[in-house]
Amino acid sequence: MSDLDLKKLNEADRLIREIGAQFGLDFLEQEFEVVPARKMLEILAYRLPVNFSHWSFGRDYEIERTKYEHGFSVPYEVVFNSDPARAYLMETNPLPVQILVMAHVYAHNDFIKNNRHFQITRRDMISSASEAARRFRRYEEDYGRAPVEKLVDAGMAIEWNIDPDELILPETEAQTRERLYGWSGKPPVDGGFDDLLPKKKSISTEEKRMLRRKTPPEPTMDILKYVIENSPVLSFEWQKDILSTIRGQALYFLPYRRTKIMNEGWATFWHEKIMNRLFSEGFLNAEAHGYYNLYNSRVKAHSPRTINPYLLGSALFRNIEMRWNTGRFGSAYESCSDAEKRQNWDLHLAKGREKIMEVRRTHMDWFFIDEFLNRDVVDELQLYVYQESDQGTHLDLKVGETDWKKIKQLMVQSLMNWGIPRILVMDGNYRNSSQLYLKHEFEGMPLDDEYCRKTLEHIHFLWGRPAHLETIDPESSRKVVYSVDTDGAHRVIRTE
Amino acid sequence: MGVLKPDYDSISRGSADAARHREKIKEAIQRNLPDIISDEAIITKSGDQLVRVPVRGIKSFRFIHRYADSVQGGFGSGESEEGKVIGRRPRPGNGRPGKPGEEPGVDYLETEIEIAELVRMMLEDIGLPNLQRKEVVEAVVTRGWKHYSIEKHGIVPRLEKKRTIKEAIKRTQILVQNLMLRSQRDEDACRQALDEANGDFDEALERLLSVNVVHPAPGAEGLSDSGALRIENSDLRFRTIEEDAQYQSNAVVIAMMDVSGSMDTMKKYLARSFYFWMTSFLRVVYKRVEIRFIAHTTTARLVDEHQFLHQGESGGTSCHSAYELATNLIDTEYPTSRWNVYPFHFSDGEDWDVDRTIHSLERMLQRGVANFGYGEIQSEHSSSVLMEAYRKKIGLEADRFENFSFFRGAGGPSPVLGVIIKGKSDIYPALRVFLHSADRKGGRLGA
Repeated sequence: MSDLDLKKLNEADRLIREIGAQFGLDFLEQEFEVVPARKMLEILAYRLPVNFSHWSFGRDYEIERTKYEHGFSVPYEVVFNSDPARAYLMETNPLPVQILVMAHVYAHNDFIKNNRHFQITRRDMISSASEAARRFRRYEEDYGRAPVEKLVDAGMAIEWNIDPDELILPETEAQTRERLYGWSGKPPVDGGFDDLLPKKKSISTEEKRMLRRKTPPEPTMDILKYVIENSPVLSFEWQKDILSTIRGQALYFLPYRRTKIMNEGWATFWHEKIMNRLFSEGFLNAEAHGYYNLYNSRVKAHSPRTINPYLLGSALFRNIEMRWNTGRFGSAYESCSDAEKRQNWDLHLAKGREKIMEVRRTHMDWFFIDEFLNRDVVDELQLYVYQESDQGTHLDLKVGETDWKKIKQLMVQSLMNWGIPRILVMDGNYRNSSQLYLKHEFEGMPLDDEYCRKTLEHIHFLWGRPAHLETIDPESSRKVVYSVDTDGAHRVIRTE
Repeated sequence: MGVLKPDYDSISRGSADAARHREKIKEAIQRNLPDIISDEAIITKSGDQLVRVPVRGIKSFRFIHRYADSVQGGFGSGESEEGKVIGRRPRPGNGRPGKPGEEPGVDYLETEIEIAELVRMMLEDIGLPNLQRKEVVEAVVTRGWKHYSIEKHGIVPRLEKKRTIKEAIKRTQILVQNLMLRSQRDEDACRQALDEANGDFDEALERLLSVNVVHPAPGAEGLSDSGALRIENSDLRFRTIEEDAQYQSNAVVIAMMDVSGSMDTMKKYLARSFYFWMTSFLRVVYKRVEIRFIAHTTTARLVDEHQFLHQGESGGTSCHSAYELATNLIDTEYPTSRWNVYPFHFSDGEDWDVDRTIHSLERMLQRGVANFGYGEIQSEHSSSVLMEAYRKKIGLEADRFENFSFFRGAGGPSPVLGVIIKGKSDIYPALRVFLHSADRKGGRLGA
């Protein structure tokens, strides 16, 4: 990249910021770094600019590189929730694409600064990860590469089995017990809404005695934290450090996971608006417009076997803005059955901008889809659900459901609990012999059998004692308990 | 804050961890060798040295739902209508684990590997990482004559003209340079003088020093055709030649198989896969490996590979016919003085005339083959008699190798090996037995 190009990008940076502010976006300071393709692919694979070593990152790096080299995908940008926000641009992208990406990044920046789910995460992850990389390297030297790798393998197997509320209201086991005893003097949530909470019920001495022995005092979905704090075999600081680092990064990335559709949709929605201004103000010429159109249509391309968050998210924000501009919400509109009247419904409220700003502040994908996905958007994007149909030698993927209500219901279900099965630690002293008992809260979606067994193996390694997982077999609706015994043997027990 | 272009010169972490990932792929392949080598897709793919093998154990396992939603499928968008097929994926449970696309492309299901690499892994696994030629029969093959060296003496027909002329030019040039130095005259004059003196140095020098040589006419300068190049005896060079002989190690696999009605597709497939890997192993050791196919019922004939595998015939079974044809083949095309012969025979153990079969086999073994292998593919319904007969008549002893029992012995100068194969899972142990016992018992493969 020439100095001239760099100058142009700096100019674009200033302009985009100005235009964004005029639109009402609210930014953190923003840094861009222009990096070579290799570094960009590394950032994508490692999740962070510098991160600890692991073969799975290497695998992802190779996948990214292969896709890039064969032209299947061009990495555009990565933005990190840090202050100032840090974004990376790939050196080899053409200039108009860089500017498109910068506009996109600024909208992410606004989202990260304002969406409530990002407010509780740390903003120093870039340097923290790079320090972790150094520590992990030292552990490898001191304790051997294989033990470190095995521990990272196991930790990453349950990295998403964490509890996001932990960041809002961290609680030690003792504090949880006190809360359950009804002793806790502190209100659970700031804001003085205690009176709305159910009255603390008094508990009997017997129950208290039970509670004192019980671990965890109440079921927890933070398997990783529970293992770090209670495992009978993890005795060294370095082991706990590795697992805590993995957990810390997962907590950092959780908001991204929970707002993927919104975040990318928001950025796409705004980069289109900002780019249009740049063209109308003459900062970019007609040739650049060709590039822009090409890349923008790629970003928003349909994909037959998965949901493109850029496409769905931006369509939803556009739809919300239109509805709140014209007043197409509320019972008057909803109950109106006159198609023509609905078609021309316009109360001239002009509240669209305000509404989308509010939504970007408060929602995450799960509620976003639940509240705003409607027939118009499903029809516009031609969303569908496909189903597998057995053809003997292979499975055909066939378009099944196209009814918008059904699609919405399934999509909401799939976004629940950031897309992973909800699994709770029920008992860390099962059979009174320090065995670990986990329970899958079955919501109609069965666990993948192979992945389930292998993950349980990892948990067994971390726990050092037999580990069990209870779930429901969807075909027979019977209880199934997967177990890994002390010697590593698997057992599956089905009961009525 | 602006746009910056920092210098990134740090070492690539990505490629280091990618290497570790590839290492893990290899480990996974090694762990699953028995499954992989009995995979039909590999051995039926002829000519291609790169095969795709399924890899397990390098996915990132975590708790996930079996499907992205509760209807066994996923979401998509774009032009479509109900019932339209938008893609397909392999059926799970066919030995090829698959998982629908929550994160498509993230989990490798297959990887490409060279057959040679697989063979190397197997040898490593068996404990013979450096399989080399040992006591193999090497044949001297003469391919005519080859140029050997250049000498000063020889016969006229082998005169090396180019070298001779080079030598002459070299010599003349040295003389001219010397003349120029001694006489202080220019090159043309010296060359002319040398020419006039018929190449004699002393005479030429004398001429140059005594005679007032007239300078050539201005127009003729540089064009003095002071004669043709003078070639003297000392300039002559001759080629010498010697016989061109090469040591070759050749191996031939004589693949014999019962194709009578009782050998079903599965049995033939087991035999085929054994032959495939056997040939691949032998390629590590020998420069040239041939494979000949003999199909037999009551009569035997040489067939091509396709017929061997796909043609079933009805009728009885007389194994002696195959051994007789193989013996003929050895005598006429693959003499054991030049070839390392590996006859293998697969049958389900049924035979009409066991005595005659034993007799024919013994006759073949007298030829001194590298190793005779007999594989009996048994199933519940077959009445297998051959292995028992071989045990008694040829004197095979039962042996075990890592929980796989087999029979071992020798018929005259030829080592004999017998294995009983009941299913796919026996292929790999059978191959291991073959390589191992050939190694231990002075067979012709060695570590």
